[in-house]
Amino acid sequence: METIISTSELRKSFRSKRGPVEAVRGVSINVGKGEIFGFLGPNGAGKTTTLRMLTTLLPIDSGTAMVAGVNVAEHPKQVRTRIGYVSQLGGADDLATGRENLILQGRLYGTDLSSVRARAHMLMESLDLADFADRRVKTYSGGQRRRLDVALGIIHEPEVLFLDEPSTGLDPQSRANLWGHIRSLRARGTTVFITTHYLEEADALCDRLMIMDHGEIVIEGTPKELKRQVSGDSVTLSLHDENGASERAHSLLGAASYVREITSEGEHLHLYVEDGSAALPHLLRLLDTERIGLKSIRLSEPTLDDVFLRQTGRSLRESSGDGEGIAE
Amino acid sequence: MKPVRDIGLLFNRHTLEMLRNPVWLFVGFSTPILYLALFTPLLKDLTSSPGFPKGSVLDIFLPGILALLAFASGSSMGFATIFELQKGVIERFRVTPASRFAILIGPILSGLSMMMVFDAVVVAVGYGFGFEVHWLGLLVLAVLLSLLATLFAAFSTAMALLTKDISSFAAVINGMNLPILLLAGVLLPISLGPLWMRVIAHFNPLYYLVQASRTLALGTFGGPAVWQAFAVLAPSCALVLFWATRVFRKAVA
Repeated sequence: METIISTSELRKSFRSKRGPVEAVRGVSINVGKGEIFGFLGPNGAGKTTTLRMLTTLLPIDSGTAMVAGVNVAEHPKQVRTRIGYVSQLGGADDLATGRENLILQGRLYGTDLSSVRARAHMLMESLDLADFADRRVKTYSGGQRRRLDVALGIIHEPEVLFLDEPSTGLDPQSRANLWGHIRSLRARGTTVFITTHYLEEADALCDRLMIMDHGEIVIEGTPKELKRQVSGDSVTLSLHDENGASERAHSLLGAASYVREITSEGEHLHLYVEDGSAALPHLLRLLDTERIGLKSIRLSEPTLDDVFLRQTGRSLRESSGDGEGIAE
Repeated sequence: MKPVRDIGLLFNRHTLEMLRNPVWLFVGFSTPILYLALFTPLLKDLTSSPGFPKGSVLDIFLPGILALLAFASGSSMGFATIFELQKGVIERFRVTPASRFAILIGPILSGLSMMMVFDAVVVAVGYGFGFEVHWLGLLVLAVLLSLLATLFAAFSTAMALLTKDISSFAAVINGMNLPILLLAGVLLPISLGPLWMRVIAHFNPLYYLVQASRTLALGTFGGPAVWQAFAVLAPSCALVLFWATRVFRKAVA
């Protein structure tokens, strides 16, 4: 597969009141042409910082990055003509219409007016924006606005499109709709590089992904490969935490022969068992004899969250809420 | 030329944004009128006191209002920048191959053209109340006003990029405004102040503009005030523009 983005040992640190913060610590990646490549990680993991270095918005401290055959640090202007970038904020002008936004953006890439008009028209048709093309952006719904942001990112037919947390704040339906549009970009040969902290998004959308935490890459692979690493089924127990219930449960269940792995996180216990349906009755009986109260129990096939949990000892669902947010 | 076209595109965008914002338009037009309406009566009796230059109230005060407007429209430019930063607009432009200088100067030029419209309103209203119009002097004054407004607009925009949030930016700009206004003799002539004040005033670009504006409004070019204003404002404007473009290029974490 032809490589379109490759970085080696990319680093970035920021000054903060508590001293320097290493936001990105030696990230090396290779993205193939025509892939949807995902960066999955909690807020503050360094995803956005990496993205901003790749898109010339942030100077690179050390390491090299090649995007679409161009060295980012040496020829930022050439990189800019070949990539599109949609930030978390979007950035369309509220007081202008969708069409006006698109035409301005296309013109800034140096395209002549008549081609930009045609391109804008075509994009608004394909992204289902044609009905609102001449309405001011401030009247757009969240999903419409997001699709306009994507259109702004691809107005100049870039080789690579970078999307930073594209589905944040969208309802499930708009999100699924957006995924459809992103897939159709891939079908037309555009490479899509996406950051997300939504497991479902990474799982459903990405051909390959990387999990990032604390500025480092934790693991990389296709969603399938990653999930296969977590053997068996995953059981999550929430306990009534009284009399050290979770410690007792931890040692009790940890000793059971069918439990392969056990980690506790607050009142939650995560277990991996060979066969969930066979293990569940045993688990419940054990807890019952020890009078350990149970709030809830969940049995599932492994998800990317289990992959994240296994690699970092934390659950992505839990750590997404309290983002450190230093570099994001 | 691509940079020139980029400047044109961003000029048009900024102008449209302003014209489509009714609140902004209302405040923009009413502020200069308010200055004229509220200050002129206050100054009526002052002009006969010692230390005041000779001339009618409006001849002295109207050029000051124009200078004040230039300073205010320039130094408030960064508020829009902060807003655009937070909306992701600046990023959207920075990721295109558009020249960084164009991203900076396009909106500034648009702001200048709006300022000229407001200035014209002030002069027209002033004329109705007896301000004597000297066209050539006002034309030269327009150049000086543009230089000063550009200087502060570029500074303000760069400060917005560096501070990134509205509260720190407002603190910097407000902290700067009062001393610059007081040490420029806009509202009260600096010649009323003690020597140390008059010395410090010479480090204030607005001071030179105010001095020159009073001469030019009377239609005279002879005194040192005019060439001094050019000598101070042109290079400092160029310097600040250069610095602000650099800030745009490196920008913002």
